Amino acid sequence: MLLLDYQNVLIESLLKERFAGGPPVSIDQVVSDFDGVIFHISTPESKSKILVSISIKCFPELVQYGAQAVMEREYGPYIVAPESGYDFSVQVDLDSLPEDQESKDDLVRRVSLLKRNIMAAPFEQAFDEYHHLAEEASKYTSESAPQGVQEGGETRSIHYREEEAIYVKASHDRVTVIFSTVFREETDRIFGKVFLQEFVDARRRAIQNAPQVLFQNQPPLELEKVPGVNRSGSNDIGYITFVLFPRHLTAQRRAEVISHIQTFRDYFHYHIKASKAFIHSRMRKRTADFLQVLRRARPEAEEKERKTASGRTFRVQS
Amino acid sequence: MANVNWRTINVDALDPDSPANFDLSSLTPAVAPVATADVQALAGQIRQLMRGGDNEGALQGALENPPYGADDRGKEVHLAAVIEILQSIRQSDMSPILQRIYSAPGGSEALDVLMKYIYKGMAQSSTVSATRNITPQATGFSQIHSRGGGEGGGQAMSVLLSWHEKLVEIAGPGSIVRVMTDRRTV
Amino acid sequence: MSQSLRPYLQCVRSSLTAALSLSNFASQASERHNVPEIEAQSCPEVLLNPLTISRNENEKVFIEPSINSVRISIKIKQADEIENILVHKFTRFLNQRAEAFFILRRKAVKGYDISFLITNFHTEEMLKHKLVDFIIQFMEEVDKEISEMKLFLNARARFVAESFLTPFD
Repeated sequence: MLLLDYQNVLIESLLKERFAGGPPVSIDQVVSDFDGVIFHISTPESKSKILVSISIKCFPELVQYGAQAVMEREYGPYIVAPESGYDFSVQVDLDSLPEDQESKDDLVRRVSLLKRNIMAAPFEQAFDEYHHLAEEASKYTSESAPQGVQEGGETRSIHYREEEAIYVKASHDRVTVIFSTVFREETDRIFGKVFLQEFVDARRRAIQNAPQVLFQNQPPLELEKVPGVNRSGSNDIGYITFVLFPRHLTAQRRAEVISHIQTFRDYFHYHIKASKAFIHSRMRKRTADFLQVLRRARPEAEEKERKTASGRTFRVQS
Repeated sequence: MANVNWRTINVDALDPDSPANFDLSSLTPAVAPVATADVQALAGQIRQLMRGGDNEGALQGALENPPYGADDRGKEVHLAAVIEILQSIRQSDMSPILQRIYSAPGGSEALDVLMKYIYKGMAQSSTVSATRNITPQATGFSQIHSRGGGEGGGQAMSVLLSWHEKLVEIAGPGSIVRVMTDRRTV
Repeated sequence: MSQSLRPYLQCVRSSLTAALSLSNFASQASERHNVPEIEAQSCPEVLLNPLTISRNENEKVFIEPSINSVRISIKIKQADEIENILVHKFTRFLNQRAEAFFILRRKAVKGYDISFLITNFHTEEMLKHKLVDFIIQFMEEVDKEISEMKLFLNARARFVAESFLTPFD
């Protein structure tokens, strides 16, 4: 498992099982996901009606960036009033499921991608804005373009974690996605630096068409006017910029690109932790080897049986 | 005196009879004080010999007159002179020179002195620049650069290390023990 | 083995062999005590001249001998931040297991990364030349381990970065 899944596996398997038939049972489960997202799956009314609710930290911001429209499009008839304590709910009635298997699977997939879809709103908005700006810009030559087209639109900030945020900004020739991330300890910071360096280099080396990746401790220029950005330039905070080029923004690729870029922060930290774990187990092994060497320094206890000439054994009195 | 923490006072240090106040000078054979100027003059003579191409004579001269009684400054001058000689002798000449010094009268003592200077030489460069210099990670194309080679003082150290190796071969580990135990330091 | 590493280790080996001539010595400061004099530092006459062996600025061994104990401190090579943190992690890991190592000192002497304390009781119980072997092997392996961990980290980082960016291609 190198890349992270986009969907929530628990919801997926649970719904699959329910949709496959079998006797209805009551469900009441709280499921957590990355970035402090909490799902609640329950059957409050009857065993056949499954309610899936999500609580996400930055919901008000997402609504502002058009989450509602995205959700209408994705979940349409399934949307119900949000459960108290949660931000958004969908309800699936097992008795009125679509007939064919394909649309059943599609529904499972959609529901399990609940977090991804909510978070996708600002990205979709930015992508649309890019297309709009690109069209505008194509009407002008580069000199005569009005200021607004040059600079691009507003920066959308999504504070999806306590101290970390994603910023999305569209221009006429690109969409910039900036992640701010906090390194809790020195080891993470240095490991993170190694990883990020490779992200920066990967494009130059192997994958020419990948988005450009930049890494710095100071907030990048795009965030100059954004309030609430930590400008201390401390080493504990990193800003990772992905520059998505038009080739990533085409209609057929955008769903995949949005899903993928969302997982970056968790993917990145997951691999830092995994490296630490590996190095730890290595040290364990190496330490065992050292102990082995040290043990050789102990003379072996002489517990040999000695015999007299007549063949009787005796022991040396110590 | 009001806020002195009495528990942290080392009472041994205040007791003239305590072992902590052992008079170390009683262990050191009397050495005549040497003025820094004299050491400098000697170092000058040694360099003279070296310029004349007589490395062996220079080394012998330096080892026969270790300035035990000089102050730190004088000792440093002499150390610099010895190190200079050691560095100017080729690797292949080391063993024969040592062998000859060893077989000369008083040779064992001379080699003990040399051993002292080798250890002092290795300790010295470390105190000069004890500051840790960890280079920040280079942001080049590849982060994998080879470890080792070209670090500060590596060259001078490897000369001393090979001298050490040759010296132990000839004078034996006993000379290391004498470096540790001899209270007359160079 | 690299050219300059061999004489370095050879020098450490002969110096250690010389320094490990230890004998039982009861404390002069307090009766019925027997403490490593190099740690107690209470009687100057039983402490011997310390020896420094250095390969370069970043790799050094400091040997402090005394009548009944020797303290050996090692400075492990650290070329950059990554190695620095790896050395720090590894030595910390070892220090926490000092009990199992008998001769490992729980805390490194200032300016060094890891320290060993060998007393006359250790040399009585264990074979002296094997103890020296252990220290030498330790020095060799630690360097190797740190390089390998660093290579691993870089390799993993590269692989992870490429895997993440490939779907965009």
